[in-house]
Amino acid sequence: MKTKIAVAVDDLTVAYNYKPVLWDIDLSIPEGVLMAIVGPNGAGKSTLIKSILGIIDPIAGSVAIYGKPYTKQRDKVAYVPQKGSVDWDFPTTALDVVMMGTYGSLGWIKRPGAKEKKLSLEALEKVGMLAFKNRQISQLSGGQQQRIFLARALVQNAAIYFMDEPFQGVDATTEIAIINILKELRKAGKTVIVVHHDLQTVPEYFDWVTFLNVKHIATGPVKDIFNDDNLTKTYGINYKVAVQQ
Amino acid sequence: MSPMIDIQLIAAVTAAACAIPGVFLVLRKMALISDAISHSILPGIVIGFFITHDLASPWLIIFAAFSGIITVVLVELIQKTGLVKEDTAIGLVFPALFSIGVILIAQNANDVHLDVDAVLLGDLVYAPFDRLIIDNADFGPKGLWTISVILVITLVLLFAFYKELKISTFDVGLSSALGFSPVILHYGLMSVASVTTVAAFDAVGAILVVAMMITPAAAAYLLTTDLRKMLILSVLFGVGSAIGGYWFARWLDASISGSITTVLGLLFLLIYLFAPSKGLIAVLFRQSRQRIEVSLLTFLLHLNNHDSENERRVAHLQEHINWRKVKANSVLQLAEKNNMITIDNQIVSLTDKGLEFTEKALDYIITNKDEKIEDMKDDFFLFRG
Repeated sequence: MKTKIAVAVDDLTVAYNYKPVLWDIDLSIPEGVLMAIVGPNGAGKSTLIKSILGIIDPIAGSVAIYGKPYTKQRDKVAYVPQKGSVDWDFPTTALDVVMMGTYGSLGWIKRPGAKEKKLSLEALEKVGMLAFKNRQISQLSGGQQQRIFLARALVQNAAIYFMDEPFQGVDATTEIAIINILKELRKAGKTVIVVHHDLQTVPEYFDWVTFLNVKHIATGPVKDIFNDDNLTKTYGINYKVAVQQ
Repeated sequence: MSPMIDIQLIAAVTAAACAIPGVFLVLRKMALISDAISHSILPGIVIGFFITHDLASPWLIIFAAFSGIITVVLVELIQKTGLVKEDTAIGLVFPALFSIGVILIAQNANDVHLDVDAVLLGDLVYAPFDRLIIDNADFGPKGLWTISVILVITLVLLFAFYKELKISTFDVGLSSALGFSPVILHYGLMSVASVTTVAAFDAVGAILVVAMMITPAAAAYLLTTDLRKMLILSVLFGVGSAIGGYWFARWLDASISGSITTVLGLLFLLIYLFAPSKGLIAVLFRQSRQRIEVSLLTFLLHLNNHDSENERRVAHLQEHINWRKVKANSVLQLAEKNNMITIDNQIVSLTDKGLEFTEKALDYIITNKDEKIEDMKDDFFLFRG
């Protein structure tokens, strides 16, 4: 049985000020996996996602979403940026932030209406944040802000979800709530790609994993490739010892 | 129409046209860029004047707006080298362009109505006398027409691209991923800011136009948590200050643009002090309340930990927790007012409500989960994060 390839990255190289942060990445992600991208700080994990989504221009290489360039497939992709990348003092409410997820399907100029509002309220309910819909976003806790971001991605009703550290700065309850929603998405046949920091939880949360450290080290099912060999190659230290400590 | 009304109209429309791009500049933390633009459009105006020999020509606005955009591009180019930070890049670019403008005026335009004073401070007083006359019919001051057209264009763009401006200001990454190019929106906003600055330049000059862009938005930001209301409030503050400033100037017999800016500054000061939740006084009040609430919690924990009556005597509490009498009293009062304790014969006891509160608060402090304390946020500042 051969599954479709959801995301294919081919010879991708990205540089900031002529210093390569991603070097000749080849990667293909099959449809329907829940995949972690792991690697040390500065490994280029966020950069990989951003260049797949066309937020950063690579200096070489190409990306295909279901065989076509990203710009033709925007409606199939949802994105959750790092929580710290936005200004939470921005004058807006939780519901309004979630509604932003509908902007992509509306296109330029057209305003969100009743239908978009209904979808957004449903997404808020799904992440357990309906009671906070009119709360100003700076008045939300870190975990609540992350749930709002997740709801905004859910509203996009995409086939592929990219999430940049969705567990950063959230409490244990929120972490479990988020991973349950991600697992539901996978059950519904969606592809979910998550930049992840906590190596301990990789086997429990994910079924696929990509090891990345400027170069691509390995991609595959967690049960096959999540081993000391790849961890050591990625982090440069003997990880068996480090994890057990 | 009398010159009096003309001046007020020009000032009010200018203020409204400045306030709208100002809101987005403030939210994008780019207030300084408006300062840079307002100075560096000068060479554009001068060169435009040399070509057209007409201070009221629309070409002047186009040339000047173009030099505004060049400023933004130069600042970004210098910043991109990574050798200097953004504020330094701004500080390098605009004085350079402005000084080119000043030299060009001094060299070539001594005999025309284009002097450095007018450039810096504007000359609203003369604006009503430059009239738009078509077929001998007087259609009012030219300056009013120019700025009104710009206000209408700004409003149309704002209504059309409100959603795009909002998302690209709040979340550049998502905006780009969804196909709303942040670069296009950025330069669109910069173009509007530049054009508005040029038109406002005549009325209020290079320095005061910055106040018209930034001050109303900064004041509105302290009063609301809704972008729509922030825009409306900014326009109202701008227009109010423009008209208020005019009458202030008449009363003082002083510069109109200076008075408008002074009124704007005073308005901001008032809001800065008295804004209900973000104002200085509200913040200080909240901090002092939080201090008392922390003491309250300490006190309730103490009660919770000690059963013996000896430990719960009012006098003992003062000695034991080492608080001064005033503080001990205010904490006792707060606890009693909220029915958390009862004082019977100088012996303090925790009520059921007090016990529940203590446990919830402890749970919140230990786990940092705030689902259970939602109802407490209304009464206590401490739990509002």
